[in-house]
Amino acid sequence: MELYLAALGICAAAAVLAAVVTRRVRVVVSSILGALGCLLAGGVALRILITGSTSTFHTSQLLPMSGLSLTLDPLAALFILASAFVGVAACVYCVGYAHGAMASRTAMTLLFVFILTLLAVPAASSVVSFMFCWELMALSSMLLILTNQAHSSDARAAALWYGVMTQFGAASILLGLLLASLGTDQTFSAIGAHSSQLSPTLRSFAFVLVLLGFASKAGAVPLHVWLPKAHPEAPSPVSALMSSSMVAIGVYGMIRVGEDLLHGGTVWWWVSVAALGVVSAFYGALHATTSTDLKRLLAYSTIDIQGLILIGVGAAGVLNDSGQPVVAHLAMMAVLLLMVAHAGFKGALFLGAGAIEHATGTRNLDRLGGLIHTMPVTAFVVGVSACSIMAVPTLSGFSSEWLLLQGLLHGFADSSTPALIVMLLGVIALALTGGLTAVAFVKVFGIGFLGQPRSSGAADAREVSTSMKVAMGWLVVPSVVIGVVPGAFVALLNRASSSALATPVVSPIDKGTGLVLSQLSGAIEPAALFVGLVVVLIVVWAANQRLAQRRSRRVDAWACGRELQTPRMQYTATSFAEPLQRVFADVLRPQNDVEVTHVAESRYYEQSLLYENRVVDVIEMRGYRPLITAALRVGRFSRRLQNGSIHRYLAFGFVALLVILVVLA
Amino acid sequence: MSATITTSLYGVAATLIQIVAVGLGGPLLVGLMAKVKARAEGRVGAPIVQPLRDLRKLLSKERLHARHSSVVLPLAPMIILAATAVAVAISPLVSTHPFLGSSADILVVVYLLLTGTVAAALAGLDAGTAFGGMGSSRVMTIGALAEPALLVAVIALSIQSGTSNLPSMMSSTIAHPDWVFGPSRLLALGALLIVVIAETGRIPVDNPATHLELTMVHEAMILEYAGPELALFSLGEAMRLGLLFSLVANLFFPWGIATSDSVLALAVGVILLMAKAALVALGVALIEVRSAKLRLFRLPELLAGGFVLSVLAVVTGLVTK
Amino acid sequence: MNSTYVAALELAAGAVLVSAVMTLWRRSVRSIVSMLSLQGMALSAVAIVLALHEHERALFVTGCLVFVVKGLVVPGLLRRVSRLDPRSRESRPLVNVPASLVFAAVLIVLSYVVSSRITSMSPSEASHLVPIGVATVLVGYFMLVTRRRAVSKIVGLILVDNGIALVTFLLTSGVPLIVELGSSLDVLLVVVVLQFLMVSMRRHSDTDQLTEMKALRD
Repeated sequence: MELYLAALGICAAAAVLAAVVTRRVRVVVSSILGALGCLLAGGVALRILITGSTSTFHTSQLLPMSGLSLTLDPLAALFILASAFVGVAACVYCVGYAHGAMASRTAMTLLFVFILTLLAVPAASSVVSFMFCWELMALSSMLLILTNQAHSSDARAAALWYGVMTQFGAASILLGLLLASLGTDQTFSAIGAHSSQLSPTLRSFAFVLVLLGFASKAGAVPLHVWLPKAHPEAPSPVSALMSSSMVAIGVYGMIRVGEDLLHGGTVWWWVSVAALGVVSAFYGALHATTSTDLKRLLAYSTIDIQGLILIGVGAAGVLNDSGQPVVAHLAMMAVLLLMVAHAGFKGALFLGAGAIEHATGTRNLDRLGGLIHTMPVTAFVVGVSACSIMAVPTLSGFSSEWLLLQGLLHGFADSSTPALIVMLLGVIALALTGGLTAVAFVKVFGIGFLGQPRSSGAADAREVSTSMKVAMGWLVVPSVVIGVVPGAFVALLNRASSSALATPVVSPIDKGTGLVLSQLSGAIEPAALFVGLVVVLIVVWAANQRLAQRRSRRVDAWACGRELQTPRMQYTATSFAEPLQRVFADVLRPQNDVEVTHVAESRYYEQSLLYENRVVDVIEMRGYRPLITAALRVGRFSRRLQNGSIHRYLAFGFVALLVILVVLA
Repeated sequence: MSATITTSLYGVAATLIQIVAVGLGGPLLVGLMAKVKARAEGRVGAPIVQPLRDLRKLLSKERLHARHSSVVLPLAPMIILAATAVAVAISPLVSTHPFLGSSADILVVVYLLLTGTVAAALAGLDAGTAFGGMGSSRVMTIGALAEPALLVAVIALSIQSGTSNLPSMMSSTIAHPDWVFGPSRLLALGALLIVVIAETGRIPVDNPATHLELTMVHEAMILEYAGPELALFSLGEAMRLGLLFSLVANLFFPWGIATSDSVLALAVGVILLMAKAALVALGVALIEVRSAKLRLFRLPELLAGGFVLSVLAVVTGLVTK
Repeated sequence: MNSTYVAALELAAGAVLVSAVMTLWRRSVRSIVSMLSLQGMALSAVAIVLALHEHERALFVTGCLVFVVKGLVVPGLLRRVSRLDPRSRESRPLVNVPASLVFAAVLIVLSYVVSSRITSMSPSEASHLVPIGVATVLVGYFMLVTRRRAVSKIVGLILVDNGIALVTFLLTSGVPLIVELGSSLDVLLVVVVLQFLMVSMRRHSDTDQLTEMKALRD
């Protein structure tokens, strides 16, 4: 525990340092300090996961009411480990990335505060400490988005959306937690011990409130609208942290409150969690395939993966309630593995997107291309992470999705109808998103890195600095390691899932390098698959070299008889996804405008042709805009009461006083 | 101890036999389908071994790389070959327990096939031409729409067997012959046939014999390939086709596969596998002869049909459980 | 014996549902009608299998009757009706084909959910298949709502009828002969009326797209 507090202290010191020293020192020294803090926190979390111990810390000094209390149990430790891992990368990345607004005092300080809260939220173990860390996390990340406002006109709107949604969410969580903690001293252990005495209605009400807040943070549709605005507008290391760690903390909240504090509750809680997941997974994947802004695409893909995670959480909850603890643990372990894997590859992808933006000045895929020649390291990082998210075998996305599918598949053995529905919808959602994710990330790599540059910025791109390369490389490690030897993490996952689900069982997965289900049928050995793939690759390469000519000759590409072949003739990100956009037009509602200007002499000849294609978030347009308009109308009405006259304001106070007196009398 | 060694020796032998059988058999199946189509259309057609001859010819040609292309261009065919070969190696095609059979999960095979599709689509985008991009975009669109049908159909089969481990699925089918004509099975078979036609680029999804760029799907994607790399690419695609046909045949009619360790059983397994795959090829070729290629934007109807069939397979599986 | 019975029953009931989905899938009226014929035969197969297993002669007769009326006569009449129209395609349904297929999948899942209570009331091999009948009813109703052509709408109506018949066969092991006879004759009558209607409609407006019916009001 002391080491953990020391780690938090180091992060705080980095924040303070960033606020006081000069720019050069600020960027390098505080970044290194922050990375050290994250490493230390990650080490502590790893030790807790290995030993399975739990340690607590309490002081009544720092916070009002029940004071600050922190508890490190394996579940919290796993989320801290993931955040710390990405945190290290974000800090190292900053050394090379920080320029302009990101290098400012405010931005650097806020970054370390944000990392500090990401490490602290999972450990917070009383209502007050949890809400304090939670709000600090929301506030620091919101201000970090605002640091970008000089460069991007959308940043302010994004921060506003984010701020409003996160405050509603926080209020809802606070209310839910207070309801759940009625009659206790508001520490989590007391709530957990006492919650079975609450009436079922009250418990369900508390869960729904908490769920609304956490689902919004986790990016679940339809509470996701802030996410595709906020994540792209934040500076890239912050986007990486938001997309890989902060959204995961939303899921952490659901597991902590639903399973640990309220002991699983009733089946329909988890059916609704899974339903949120199904909708999010499909909606996120669909928008990811049609987005052309690289970071917006990644944000939507985060919604997709979070959807899969919620499906798993829902499945685990339903199965746990209907008396299938072994499969429930399997699903929970799958979810936790997917969460860790996602932290790795999504962090790497966002840092890669930052590198591209840094080097080319744009993150619009339609203006990129050919970067594999000029930025080979970034290409490698993005390529491997994209393969991982597409669930290419022996990378982390594959191992975790396989485990999730196993959880759902064996969940079919349960015969209760809610369980079967959750499993069925979960399988369908996984199946639908798999192909769409592949399209999205073939687009990212194929349009962004292959072909010819589509703009001068892309043509003049240079590889980024060493610290950024190191940071991106660091985040590729989990993709490969979790992918090839997932068995090494089974013990850690089992501890975390045992501390999440109330019914501890023997690990459903055997010890070893691969994933071998012990009480159920099913196994993969990714290490063997990996060796097999490498052996075949070498054999094919050698045979190709021996059997055929070795030297290759460069020739012009086939242009169907035309002489001219320009980069503008290539497929773009928009045209690549156009067929799918047309297929799913009923859901996406794309807006197309064609404007033709004819030459003056004849209307058979065209002078110019303007084609515009936009895909906006339907839920935002149909669901939120009416609310906002209504709120504005109320605002406009209440403005009539204010005319700036001080007399009128004083009169309001006087009238109010009179009314109160009358009512009291 | 010696029994274990014998078992693993037979496993290794079965794996090698499978790779060779699919490596040679895949191109032969392509040739067979071309022959059947030619005969049905009243032509003599090229000999069945023509695809193998083409491969030899291509290997002896000059290695040409398009300007602006990167390392992806030569790497992609190797990745397709490697992914397919590993899928072939672990799948129970000739014997129910090939080497690495413990990893022979049907989901692994599905995702290995997806890896091949992804590599091919990236290769199409590599040279930065309009046709390559068009081919990749279409291949990925079809792949994205076929993937749900494939995965759900596979899950329907796994639910019935209670596992997604391929050898266990096949031995449980052998133990329950009455499953073969169950509605869930037949629906899953229908869905898988549609997926197989889509994944191997056959009519009505794609026309492998087309020479007009605008109607091409798969052929547009590989326009930049020539010589040895084209040979590897074609071999990889032919092996994919061989794997898919034999896997479908074995999933629905596993009898004949070697369940014990003996040379005779392996020999019978190989011959029956060839026969079953040839039957599937015959069926697909007849479908090709009888139907016209669908417009690209009519394909979603076909693939959505496959998806609904697979969902039906799961639901009827649950109903009749 | 018992396992053969169950397998045959499942197969026939499955065929009823698949042919229902296929009517949503196909566009040409000819193949829609042949799917309907297939469904009628599958429905009669369900009745006959049940009859053989329960040794009920009346049900057997009902099955044969269903085969003749729903498998042969009604599709035959519809085929004759559609032959009047050279453009025999459901060209633009109100909900496009992929979307209606996906929606059909949703309906099937839904019917599984809602009928789980019915199946648990009288658990037997036959009553397990009730969701299939409910799904056929829902798919038929969906077709009735979303297709423009009069022929397709009639097909939807017959799907609903077949689904109800399937549910009653499975739950009560057979409706009384006279009821099934009545409903089959009803359908027959509707088809005959339709035939007259279509001929006269064509004489007036040269189409049987029911959306054009709005014009009659003005």
